Amino acid sequence: MAVDFGKMADLLIAGKVEDVSNMTQEAIDEGMDPQEVLQNGLIAGMDVVGQRFKACEMFIPEVLRSAKAMSAGMDKLRPLLSESQAKAAGTMVIGTVKGDLHDIGKNLVAMMFEGAGFKVVNLGIDLETQVFVDAVKEHKPDLLGMSALLTTTMPRMGEVVNALKEAGIRDQVKIMVGGAPVTGEFAEEIGADIYGANAASSVDKGREAVGK
Amino acid sequence: MESIMPDMQPMNQTVQETPQFRVLTEDQIEQIYFAALDVLERVGSRVHQDEALELFRSSNEAVVSDDKRVRVPASLVERALKTYPRKITLQGRNGKRSVALQKDHVYFGTGSDLPFTYDRKTGERRRTTYKDVVNAARIVDALPNFDFFMSHGIVGDAPNPQTYDRHQFMAMLEGCTKPMVVTSVDGEGLEDLWKMACLFQGGEEEFRLSPMFVAYIEPISPLTNDHSAVEKLLFAAEKGIPAMYTPCPSSGATAPATIAGMLVQSLAETLLAAVMCYLKNPGMPLIMGGVTTVMDMRTTTYSYGAPELSLASAANTDISKWLNLLMFSTGGCSDSKWLDEQAAVESTLSLLTAYLSGANLVHDVGYIDSGVNASLESLVMNDEIIGMVRQVGKGIRTDDEGLALKVINEVGPGGEFVTHDHTYAHWRDWFFPKLMDRSDWETWNSEGCKTMSDRVNEETQRLLDTYEPQPIDEATRKGLKEIIDAAEKRHSK
Repeated sequence: MAVDFGKMADLLIAGKVEDVSNMTQEAIDEGMDPQEVLQNGLIAGMDVVGQRFKACEMFIPEVLRSAKAMSAGMDKLRPLLSESQAKAAGTMVIGTVKGDLHDIGKNLVAMMFEGAGFKVVNLGIDLETQVFVDAVKEHKPDLLGMSALLTTTMPRMGEVVNALKEAGIRDQVKIMVGGAPVTGEFAEEIGADIYGANAASSVDKGREAVGK
Repeated sequence: MESIMPDMQPMNQTVQETPQFRVLTEDQIEQIYFAALDVLERVGSRVHQDEALELFRSSNEAVVSDDKRVRVPASLVERALKTYPRKITLQGRNGKRSVALQKDHVYFGTGSDLPFTYDRKTGERRRTTYKDVVNAARIVDALPNFDFFMSHGIVGDAPNPQTYDRHQFMAMLEGCTKPMVVTSVDGEGLEDLWKMACLFQGGEEEFRLSPMFVAYIEPISPLTNDHSAVEKLLFAAEKGIPAMYTPCPSSGATAPATIAGMLVQSLAETLLAAVMCYLKNPGMPLIMGGVTTVMDMRTTTYSYGAPELSLASAANTDISKWLNLLMFSTGGCSDSKWLDEQAAVESTLSLLTAYLSGANLVHDVGYIDSGVNASLESLVMNDEIIGMVRQVGKGIRTDDEGLALKVINEVGPGGEFVTHDHTYAHWRDWFFPKLMDRSDWETWNSEGCKTMSDRVNEETQRLLDTYEPQPIDEATRKGLKEIIDAAEKRHSK
């Protein structure tokens, strides 16, 4: 018997992490097409979550619980997706620049991207410029996200952009920046591609920019 | 005045002259305190600074793990807590010892470092500049209900982000003569600001007796102490500079979603600082702090207008009094992007609650846009609100003069009080509005139907056009410039 995608989506919307994980495994065991499970089960559920969030029917703790369920399902599916299919889901590298230990905003963005099906490499906080450059080389992400809360550490984001240019890999990745003192204007000034004003809009803009 | 009713002399009565307000019972405070001690014994707090780690290690009581986590036994915390002063009197550059921090004395002031400002000419949102900070300083100097000044904005046009704090302090000094709370980049920055202040105070020793400022320092919730914060705290401890170490947890994100849980965690963060300062220099003037609020679960904003901010802050003040620590609290701020009805409502709620709680320094007055945007108009509006709030705090006198039996007897049925000496003597006890409109409709209409917003704008402009603070003398100015230039030189490489 085939797995009921409607039920899978509902469980995901309800934030049932273990149930979604188990159901994804069931679908795999029954030999269903992983791409179909991803699209019709997981992503279908997350689409509803996104709509409900925008309509003020769901709030951050609920959205993050659903995102966790999505991510648990993805962990099962990822090894089975073809290289191109896995790539299609998107990869993001994210971190907080040198001198800044504030990371709640960055972590929220990371969780929301996981909820959108991205593979997220969270580098952490207080990161040297070179760490970002190395991570872009290693993970070849679609997106690089950087955050700063302090006006004193904000310029570090520009340094990372320049270092990527010098390494000749600037154009391989879309760069997204955020944090309380950051603006769209600042993002443009330092040569970033996307300004994320908050976690939800970051995901919208990020997906649009990399076409996922 | 002689009592006309001797048989009304009360025996053993409790006379309540000021409104009483308390959020936590003593039992609840103890529960929170013991829980915070438990956090320090079991969870600990991470400290990213070597000198502090060495202080903890050599105490032979605190335990330092390889991951820089410091755990502290209750005995050490309790010994540290006994050393802090219960009184600090701040003196402005005008020489007035105008802020006497002690139990139930409440003072109001601005917040600091807001990156954005609405340009008053163009209406556009832009980066805050040196001149904006000078203007905020002048307005705070002029407004009677502001007692201390934080920079309000950040000097976004400073030559170097690593030395911006010296320029910012200079801008503050240009415009304002009142005591201050200052932010700094790191220990070296704080040292420069302290040297600048000592030029006015007449040296280190005088500064210790009547400090011109308190250093604002914050940990990162949950339970993290970054390098520059600890460096500043240790420098303040060494020199006897008053400092607050003020956790800024957002309930539901960087602290538990229950207010009690948030208070436990932020108290643990404070107590760790209390031990750290004690190990460095027992008895340095440490002030407890806390901007305790919720993260909005729709926008992820750290809310400055939430009622939970007021409630949690008042509870935190209850705890501070029980610990015999002075308290730095929050009020007069808003999440609204514009100085509108929302800003007025949110500002009023937090100001009244903070005042009734008896917090010593109530800061962030005038913040709009959740601590992102500066607003001179908000300062002007809040001055009026503070005036009203302070009036509530005066309470009611019930002595013979207050009960006015003699007056009621003299006026009698059908008389009037307007021309009575008693009225002449007491009407000035009332709050006298400057911006609140109480006119009749005809007058209001003939005077141009001005809204609160219109009146606030006019008053802001009037102050900007006319108010000049007491200038800084040339010799001091030269000394200040030398300190700033030296900092620029050190950081120019």
